Amino acid sequence: MRTITRRDFLKLGAASTAVLAIEAKLSPFAKAADTLLDGGRSVNRTSGLPRSFLPSTCNQCPAGCGTIGYVEESRVVKIGGNPKHISNQGTLCARGQAGINALYDPDRVLKPLKRTGPRGQGQWTEIEWDEALKTVAEKMTAAKRNPSSLLFLTNDLENDALGRRFTYAFGSPNAVGAAGLYDANKKVATELTWGAAGDMPDVGRSKYMLIFGANPLENHPSFCGFARRLIDSTTQNQGKVVLFDVRLNNTSARSNEVHFVNPGTMALVALAMANVIMQEGLYDKDFIEQWTNVTPAQLVQHLAQYTPERAEAETGVTALVIRRVAAEFANTKPATTVTDATLSNFSNGVQNERAAMLLNIITGNIDNRGGLCLPRQYDLGNPDPAPVQPGTSVFTTPDNVPYAFQQSAGQVLRQIKEHKASVSVLMSHQFNPVYSSPDGGLQAEILKDETLIPYHVAVTPFIDETSAYADIILPEATYLENSEVEVRPSPEQVPYVSLHQPVVPPLESSRSFFAIATELAAAVKGGMEQYFAFKSVDEYLKARIAPISGLTKAGGLDYLKQHGVWYDPKSRPNYASYTAGGFKTPSGKVEVFSQRLTEKGFNPLPSYEPIQNFREMGQNDLVLTIFDTALHTDGLTANCMWLDEIQHNNPAWINPETATRLGIKEGDKIRLIRTSKSGDAKERSVESVAFISEGVHPSVIALAGGVGHSNYGRVAAGEKFDKTEIETPFLQDPNVDLIWWGEKTGINGGIGVNAKQIIPISVDSIGGGVAWGDVVVQVARI
Amino acid sequence: MMAPAGAEAEMAAARAAVYGLLARVFSAKPSVELVKAMKDRSMSVSLAACGLAMDEDFTGAADAVLAQSLAEEYTRLFVGPGPRIAAYESVYLPGEGDRGARLWGAATVAVDRFYREIGLELPEGRIPDHLGIELEAMALMAGAEAERLLAGDEEGAGRLSIMQQKFCQEHLLRWVPAVCGDIEQEARSSFYKSMAVLAAGLVEAVCGEGDKSGDKQEEEALNENA
Repeated sequence: MRTITRRDFLKLGAASTAVLAIEAKLSPFAKAADTLLDGGRSVNRTSGLPRSFLPSTCNQCPAGCGTIGYVEESRVVKIGGNPKHISNQGTLCARGQAGINALYDPDRVLKPLKRTGPRGQGQWTEIEWDEALKTVAEKMTAAKRNPSSLLFLTNDLENDALGRRFTYAFGSPNAVGAAGLYDANKKVATELTWGAAGDMPDVGRSKYMLIFGANPLENHPSFCGFARRLIDSTTQNQGKVVLFDVRLNNTSARSNEVHFVNPGTMALVALAMANVIMQEGLYDKDFIEQWTNVTPAQLVQHLAQYTPERAEAETGVTALVIRRVAAEFANTKPATTVTDATLSNFSNGVQNERAAMLLNIITGNIDNRGGLCLPRQYDLGNPDPAPVQPGTSVFTTPDNVPYAFQQSAGQVLRQIKEHKASVSVLMSHQFNPVYSSPDGGLQAEILKDETLIPYHVAVTPFIDETSAYADIILPEATYLENSEVEVRPSPEQVPYVSLHQPVVPPLESSRSFFAIATELAAAVKGGMEQYFAFKSVDEYLKARIAPISGLTKAGGLDYLKQHGVWYDPKSRPNYASYTAGGFKTPSGKVEVFSQRLTEKGFNPLPSYEPIQNFREMGQNDLVLTIFDTALHTDGLTANCMWLDEIQHNNPAWINPETATRLGIKEGDKIRLIRTSKSGDAKERSVESVAFISEGVHPSVIALAGGVGHSNYGRVAAGEKFDKTEIETPFLQDPNVDLIWWGEKTGINGGIGVNAKQIIPISVDSIGGGVAWGDVVVQVARI
Repeated sequence: MMAPAGAEAEMAAARAAVYGLLARVFSAKPSVELVKAMKDRSMSVSLAACGLAMDEDFTGAADAVLAQSLAEEYTRLFVGPGPRIAAYESVYLPGEGDRGARLWGAATVAVDRFYREIGLELPEGRIPDHLGIELEAMALMAGAEAERLLAGDEEGAGRLSIMQQKFCQEHLLRWVPAVCGDIEQEARSSFYKSMAVLAAGLVEAVCGEGDKSGDKQEEEALNENA
């Protein structure tokens, strides 16, 4: 800029005054200039700043641990575990502590955005909330003629009570969650077998833990609380841990024994063990006879086909090990299995889960101290007037998956493409199918197509791969600025209620989902508004916790606001709860034989069904496994700087024997090609770097998930915040020197790859869980 | 030579107005009215005199069309996907314990503390160290200075002048030129380019270090009697 003279500056000042006079002056400051002080007000400048703290609930993974947010001068400076919380008991993992990074992500979207260019091209205009709500309300009102044309997609449907309420109040049944991407097969298997969706191994009190494809020291639906209890059990209880998986992980490091199993065959190991237990008479005769719908003789007969020798041939686990571990499991009381992805995320996942569950059933380790327990949690209230789900639809009850749990999220968008149902308004709520669902390329294609999805509202704190295809983005507050109550299965087996409360107010124009849903309902009207006629969020929360009388007596919402969690302090685990009234199955018993499976043409007894893809594997084919680490939650945490510092990349684990055969060396760039034969989709491939390790099964190639975002802000993209030209002593901070951002080395700019994009949309035909594990790839150096 | 109080007040009021305009420009997308007013002859002549004339993309476009394209430009630059200029001091000046760029960093806290010290308070949720808000604080201080000068309270005006210098030197001067450099580089419209140059120039001229000859000249130029 050229040197400005005083005269010119005064003219510019006069002109500026004229421009400013045009609009109503809206100063951001609450206090106006006429009260402006000229300094000197007493401000605490010492290090002993007053620090306030508020208990709340973590949302960085599904565990919902109790947290405490420490606030200094209006900002959150630390998040720690809440020692009063019965689930996590004061512990908090890296993801929970890094929640600050999400709250203060410089790329958070803080204003409503309206698309002003072609969909997906990234052309937006900021708008005010009034306009945003009016626009969305107009689209929804137009959809009122066919309310079912509203599709609401959310990540965690069970805990998105407001989302369900909003959808049903509008008159649509289509509130669909993402369980199909995660644990749907377990939920369906358990529901069919003992009448409750899910389980909770009582590891804290167990003496013998048989882990099939789970990694609870890095990931679990009750992560911190579960991991802590498992460790306590091994140290204080001398509990033994035997783990079966295709890769070594943090849990195997703390296990007494680890056995590699050929991918997809784990159920056969479990069934062979069950066979041994039955053959050798180590079973709990009373439990089987009284509480299951089969006899020991029927089980002996059914399981006879699963000999340890057959299992050895197909699974790679020796008959000797199978016999010994089976006897140990049956003779050590109490004992439990712990199961997860590498057992259940296959096209035979429901059967696999039922096979592992059978071990607990025949040894009487069902809902007992230290055994496999029913999930224990309170039921929260559905405030009056409570909207009911208006029937079902092809989204909620797909015809190809008879027992789908919360639908199968992987399929939803494809159903629209296949014209199985039409949608006029799609609302995505913190759900990112382009990143998290199989075949992200296809998901994006569908979202981009305005004939398939005429209008897309994304409600999210962050722009991601999916909201990039929205027509309007409503900036939601993060979980640290939000209010809700939640209940989850208790790893202590004592149910509890946990509170989300704003640790800080929503930043800038972001709003809580409660505020967004309430205002939208009021704008849409047509009867919908009556379901959101709450005077305040507190009134809503009070109605939610009203059915829990013990909490009401303890002080209700005020108690929760002060402590963050409530459980009955006198309550002890009510083991064997089924003795009062039986199991919630049609027969009231554990349904080892499932009539419901028979009716739909499935095998009614826990069975091993080989994976079709694995039968046709060639010499150079490998099974692709995508695993979770302790540092990232799928699709959610890659914008957290502290986590990315530790894990921002995902090399492909290959066994040395396999690497030699394929001529691949450590650090080689490789391509994983999923050929069209292993699914219905087109051939797709992804690049990675070889990491040669004995820690992975020879027929497996394994990559971590949670990284490799293509659109989730600069932190996730590994882009340096290139402000280093500014001199500041803190850039000399050694921690900053360690940051890899901006180095742009390695595959995909050093940020890893999202291997999910090459996985075809294929689900377990009973439970609808995505068959992530069924995928065979060819690996080649590049 | 001391300028008479009236001239000083006039100068402070001019600073308040220009800071205020810049605060408005960087706080939200422009309205049609703002665009119209910015195209007014007195503004365009003033800007041209300062070497900040807008190009044809601004002068030649119809008001409504221009307002819409500048709204998109504003969103692209500052709000949504695009170059993502996160115009917050803490993003540009990571402070102790921040471990990199972030919202609500150490700088944000320092800025918020400064506001409280001079009696300013933001509503809950507003981030104190956004470019637009820091400029607005400067505008308020300059405006108050002008009022005190006109009221004959030279001591109060002097303290407000010192507070402006302090805030500018501890904060704006350390990062506004950098963020404005980014805006100038990333902006496609001459409007945001000009406004970025003006903001950086103003901050450097008003509170730049005296030993930098160019700044010195500007400072002198600004204080020169008209």
